Amino acid sequence: MQTTLQTVERSNPLGVRFLGFWNTFKKSRTGVLGLVMLTVIILVAIFAPLLAPYGRLETVSISDIYKPPSALHLFGTDDAGQDVFSNFVFGARVSLTVGFFAAFISIIIGGTFGLVAGFFGGRWENFIMRFTDIMLVIPDLPLMVVIVALTKPSLLNIIFVIGLLGWTTTARVVRSQTLAVKSRKFVLRARAIGASRGHIISRHILPLVMPILVVQAVLVISLAILNESALSFLGLGDPTTLSWGQMLNYAFGRGAMSAGAWWALVFPGFGIVWVVLGLTLLGQGLEQVLNPRLDTHHLMPSRPVVQNEARAKPVPSQALLEALNLSIHYVNDEGRAPARAVENVSFTLNEGELLGLVGESGCGKTTLMLALLRLLPSAGQIVDGRVYFHGRDLTALSEVEMNEIRWSGISIVFQGAMNALNPVRTVGDQIAEAIIKHIPLYPREGIPARVTELLDLVGIAADQRDHFPHQYSGGMRQRALIAMALACNPQVIIADEPTTALDVMIQAQILELLDLLRKKLGLAIVFVTHDLGIVAEMCDKVLVMYGGVTAEYANVDVIYNDSQHPYTQELLKAFPDLTKPKKKLTSIPGYPPRLDALPAGCRFAPRCPAVFDRCHAEEPSLHQIGNDGHIASCHLIERTR
Amino acid sequence: MSKKFLEVRGLKKYFEAGRPSFFAKDPRNVHAVDGVDFTLRRSEVIALVGESGCGKSTLALLLMGLENPTAGSIKFEGMDITHLNDGERKSHDLRRKIQMVFQDPYESLNPTQTIEEIVTEPLLVHGMMNTPDRDERVQKAMEDAGLKPADVYLRRYPHELSGGQRQRVVIAAALVLEPELILADEPVSMLDVSIRAEVINLLAELRIKRQIAVIFITHDLGSVGFFADRVAVMYLGRIVEIGSMLEVLENPKHPYTKALISVIPVPNPRLRHERIILQGETPNPINIPSGCRFHPRCPVAIASCALSDPPMLSLNKSHQAACLLLVK
Repeated sequence: MQTTLQTVERSNPLGVRFLGFWNTFKKSRTGVLGLVMLTVIILVAIFAPLLAPYGRLETVSISDIYKPPSALHLFGTDDAGQDVFSNFVFGARVSLTVGFFAAFISIIIGGTFGLVAGFFGGRWENFIMRFTDIMLVIPDLPLMVVIVALTKPSLLNIIFVIGLLGWTTTARVVRSQTLAVKSRKFVLRARAIGASRGHIISRHILPLVMPILVVQAVLVISLAILNESALSFLGLGDPTTLSWGQMLNYAFGRGAMSAGAWWALVFPGFGIVWVVLGLTLLGQGLEQVLNPRLDTHHLMPSRPVVQNEARAKPVPSQALLEALNLSIHYVNDEGRAPARAVENVSFTLNEGELLGLVGESGCGKTTLMLALLRLLPSAGQIVDGRVYFHGRDLTALSEVEMNEIRWSGISIVFQGAMNALNPVRTVGDQIAEAIIKHIPLYPREGIPARVTELLDLVGIAADQRDHFPHQYSGGMRQRALIAMALACNPQVIIADEPTTALDVMIQAQILELLDLLRKKLGLAIVFVTHDLGIVAEMCDKVLVMYGGVTAEYANVDVIYNDSQHPYTQELLKAFPDLTKPKKKLTSIPGYPPRLDALPAGCRFAPRCPAVFDRCHAEEPSLHQIGNDGHIASCHLIERTR
Repeated sequence: MSKKFLEVRGLKKYFEAGRPSFFAKDPRNVHAVDGVDFTLRRSEVIALVGESGCGKSTLALLLMGLENPTAGSIKFEGMDITHLNDGERKSHDLRRKIQMVFQDPYESLNPTQTIEEIVTEPLLVHGMMNTPDRDERVQKAMEDAGLKPADVYLRRYPHELSGGQRQRVVIAAALVLEPELILADEPVSMLDVSIRAEVINLLAELRIKRQIAVIFITHDLGSVGFFADRVAVMYLGRIVEIGSMLEVLENPKHPYTKALISVIPVPNPRLRHERIILQGETPNPINIPSGCRFHPRCPVAIASCALSDPPMLSLNKSHQAACLLLVK
């Protein structure tokens, strides 16, 4: 890894930026196809004099009117006995020139208006955006027709008319992007160091508006070409030049249809379609590169479970939920080694028990939890191990059977309560939906009472049932999510960092609520967190994960007072303890390993204060300590015995 | 130095929240900051603690001059800076002397800039790009912020760094101007616990090395630990208790402070204790409760709490609290 960083540092950052861009763009087939189509037609336009067998508007022979395509005239001849292929090639020049220049004008005007409106806001924004709205309402084409008809129909006039009328969408797009960028914290930070407006616009706003402007420009060019064709077709083109639109106009107006001379119409039409299609594809490709999140979503199916059949099928214990030797990989399509996100992790959870799952970000905690419910993202795959729920192997169930377990057996409370709720539906509605979706036969008339009961259970007053998520505070939203998780009377709740974004007092309220629910309903809870204080306050058992493997697994008291793994010990040293005022906090140097580039030997070795030779060579196995189910994976344990 | 370093008196900031209805006469006000007093000495660290909506972040923006106060005064090194505009702030060197570190290190860095561009940007803004010691300054700021060796990071982009490293970049960009006061608004709340200690130790080190005063804004008293000299507890726009860290932690006087301290998790299951969990949330700062603003949520409130607003009471030289139960 070190070497790749070095090379990146030495090369030119702009070059790197472009290379990165190109590498992503390459993956978009539509984008590349669009780029190729556009390049071809631009090359044709540039080298028109070389490609065209006849001169511009050169009449081959008056007698050769509407001759069909032949070796002599590839695209046939038109009404004036001119070679259609030559006109097509020269027409590309006119159409593209109009398209590019008009789009240039539109982008400059729209970009400036959008930037000014978005950045300065207030009266400026009001004025500009109302003007934009008016311009947007007026149909472009009739207005263009009127203006071009009133002025002299020269190429320059047409460029200006199309350019001056085509900026409205750009202004709107740029304004909304500017608004979004303006509210980001780095702009506030720039203001705090005293940066001027000009500085903020040029250094912070423009670089982030530019990508959108580029995509917009591509689309505006295609619109401009279409507009020019329409104007020319209506006979408002510059009579001294010949664009594709005009070729259509002449052919149409001079009886090409009745003469059966399809070639006079099809080829210029094909040119227009070719360019517009190319630009649209290119725009789509660019958008994919600049907005990569369009690619993945939560609706993609996950991969089937793979079982290592060589391993004897483990026998489940009496526990409510049990994970046995679970391994999960993230596979990729590019032939790189899979990321070993979770490897050989086991735990048991009994009724009414609270298990804390602890580790830094990127240690595989969330992956493990999603795997229990088989809700892994599409790249994730269970490659080994079993999950038993009431003695049933969840990894062997069909998707339909699994759906019955989800929510009514095991449910999950996600972190980030705002994102997990649908903003346009009331909270009560969403809870009702959770019930109906998982228990389709639930009596409809009983649902409102059930929703009220659930809300009451989590401490939300019944009159707030019909409120929308944005009317709830952060703590209330988290309560609503818990109510939703309880909708189908699950026996196990997985709480994935449910309090991370909340204030300490609200956090205390939520923890109290979970504890209360556990006692009242006999729930078993898996609590995922990186906050050791919460774990000490609430949990019975603790699983400490590091880099996808079990570092230590024991009763809560053992973890805090007799931990054997250096990672557990270091985590505890980093946690502030107000009962020990003199203790200096120490952080763990370095960062958790990348799961696709794991170190050899023990995964914690590069950061471990007690590391010795063997740690770099050999992965420690899980050691049993005592009879209390205390497990730790560290070579030191063998040493001390 | 006899002059006070930073002195805040009766500071208020009300935001207009629009009229409750079309026919209402007066617009409603959000009382974000509602009469805050405190002083800060040179190279002192004060923790400003409170729940969301208590006005602590607005207070920071007021001190930075990014919002205009409704009333009250702010004096910095003896000079009244309450109503200075952008230009005046710059000419008095305030934009250099006072720096801010934001909560979210993912949001507060421009993703299109390299680390070098980010750290040198303050120099560019202040016209110090061509000073002979420029490279040295950048190098020193980065290394003081724990980005060693500096040139490994210069060409990288924020997305190539971890959360802790990004927060170090933000701190380096503040240090490059050699500030005297850093306002840190929840600088560690977005970070993993294992990295929080690293950022807090870094700030503690800077304060010793560079004599920088720090206002550390947080909702979690536990995360500041004993790094702060003093702590000010805010509730609904006002400071309700202020005193030395050790004293407030060991002997809190205001019921709100007591509750806040009781919910700080203790990382030892043998010390599980009774927590004072306040019900409900901070009330809407549009309608401030009558009397003591804390009384609707206070577990020990008496009848008179709803009637009179308690004044700030000096318990000793370094400890003050505003609670009627202390007036006896």
